[in-house]
Amino acid sequence: MFQAVASPVYGFVVMQTICLDRVSLWRRTQEEFSYDLKKTILSILEGKYHKPPKHLVLDRLDLAIESGRKVGIIGANGAGKSTLLKLICGILQPTSGQVRVRGRIAPLIELEAGFEPELSVLDNIILYGVLLGFSRREMQGRTPSILAFSGLEDYALVPVKSLSSGMVARLGFAIATDVQPDILILDEVLSVGDASFKRKCKQRIERFWNSNTTVLLVSHDLEFVRQECDQAIWLDRGQLKMQGSANDVVDQYLYTVRQELDLDSQEWNFGLKEVLC
Amino acid sequence: MYQSEGRDFWDLGAQNSFMRYREVLYVLVSRNLKVRYRGSLLGVYWSLLNPLIMTSVYTLIFGTAFASYYDNSIVRYMLGAFSGLAVLNFFSSSTTQALTSIVLNGSLMNKIRLPVSIFPVSMIAANVFQFAVGALPLLMMMTLLISHSLTNVVVLFLPLLALILVASGVGLLVSALFVFFRDLSYFYELVLFLLLISSPIFYPQEIVPANVRAILVFNPLSSIIASLRQIAISGHAPDYSLIGHALLSGALTLVVGWICFKRWHHQFMDLL
Repeated sequence: MFQAVASPVYGFVVMQTICLDRVSLWRRTQEEFSYDLKKTILSILEGKYHKPPKHLVLDRLDLAIESGRKVGIIGANGAGKSTLLKLICGILQPTSGQVRVRGRIAPLIELEAGFEPELSVLDNIILYGVLLGFSRREMQGRTPSILAFSGLEDYALVPVKSLSSGMVARLGFAIATDVQPDILILDEVLSVGDASFKRKCKQRIERFWNSNTTVLLVSHDLEFVRQECDQAIWLDRGQLKMQGSANDVVDQYLYTVRQELDLDSQEWNFGLKEVLC
Repeated sequence: MYQSEGRDFWDLGAQNSFMRYREVLYVLVSRNLKVRYRGSLLGVYWSLLNPLIMTSVYTLIFGTAFASYYDNSIVRYMLGAFSGLAVLNFFSSSTTQALTSIVLNGSLMNKIRLPVSIFPVSMIAANVFQFAVGALPLLMMMTLLISHSLTNVVVLFLPLLALILVASGVGLLVSALFVFFRDLSYFYELVLFLLLISSPIFYPQEIVPANVRAILVFNPLSSIIASLRQIAISGHAPDYSLIGHALLSGALTLVVGWICFKRWHHQFMDLL
């Protein structure tokens, strides 16, 4: 069960929704794994078998996020941003350390994975909703509002495979956000459907944004993080480089990236000179 | 370690997570059956076609030759072949579907937190449903007509329970192995063929040499088939030692499958 995590700040008790305590994660990379029984048996017989190596993806992460915060997660590709989100969703288990989460999470990452193309929109709403953690009865009650929001009332009995990809994305968004979640996970900024639906999505996300929902957002759009988030986390090769106000973290991140770029171009110039001389 | 509080999650205490598991299992099984039969319940009877055709083929070819082992009755040979094939058919279709189930749902498990075991279990459950509307009524009718005893009809469920246990155990085991070895399906076809040959389905057990028969005991399906036939076709009162044997081998298979699954399932997510 959840252990109450409360920290007194200036006399108030602020509830932490997400709390990571020295979390490390080692993973095998899929590229280095053979997936082949025949090859594995033969290599064992030849004595050439070696255990596929594991890599440290997240390195002793300590993190506490208070409820209602809008947190941007930034960092280079492969820094472990999406992995961190998966840990928080409980999809991955940490190798060591502890992850504690309080509240219902709505993951908004590529929403189409839960759909069964052969089944009708109606059946898929129930299926996807139950996978996301609601009961069948709840989902039956929610169906009208989901159909209305996604604008698919006329398609209720049509199999999902005959919907356009935009419609499918709308449906996924409508199901995942029909109930206001305690924690909203956004991996990259959404680009769902046509212009009018985008506006509807934006309104709904803004409503969550302005309420007490905790938002975690992975984005490469640094200006968006600076403007919309009040906190930011900077991950660098699995380590927490910096956590603080969005402005400070983005500034520091940009500064470091530019410095690295300068260094790179200096080396480049140097190398070029050597070649030319 | 992962801890959470919220209705989305599995560690809410035993009762709640059991309810959740049941809900998810229900939608996955109904998805499976709906896709398979596209709303027509008659589709279920397609699955009977295979054992019925196989039974008639075996009867045509081996019936006369082996009838002497079946009280000189070709009908009895036929019923024996059918009950054996019904068991084997259930076992092979449920476990081959379970085999790929985790890998096929890998992308889903990368997005939503779900208990991994639910995918192989849902495949077994869908096949249980199919068996219950397809072969089971035939077996029950057969039992009632031959034994004239309701006890036999009721007790018939015990070897079938053992069958579900064996299929679940093997289903969990192969679905876990398939995550690591994607060429397993070829090997598994061979295993299924060995099971077919080593189960006394189309031949009487008596023709196997005694020392070879000792090895065949390790086939978990043979005790189930023996018990099922004893209850359904022999016309005698149920032999509880045979049932006990079947249930024991079923429970053992499930425990072995479950232990392996539990040991390996932490490694799945890295490879999906």
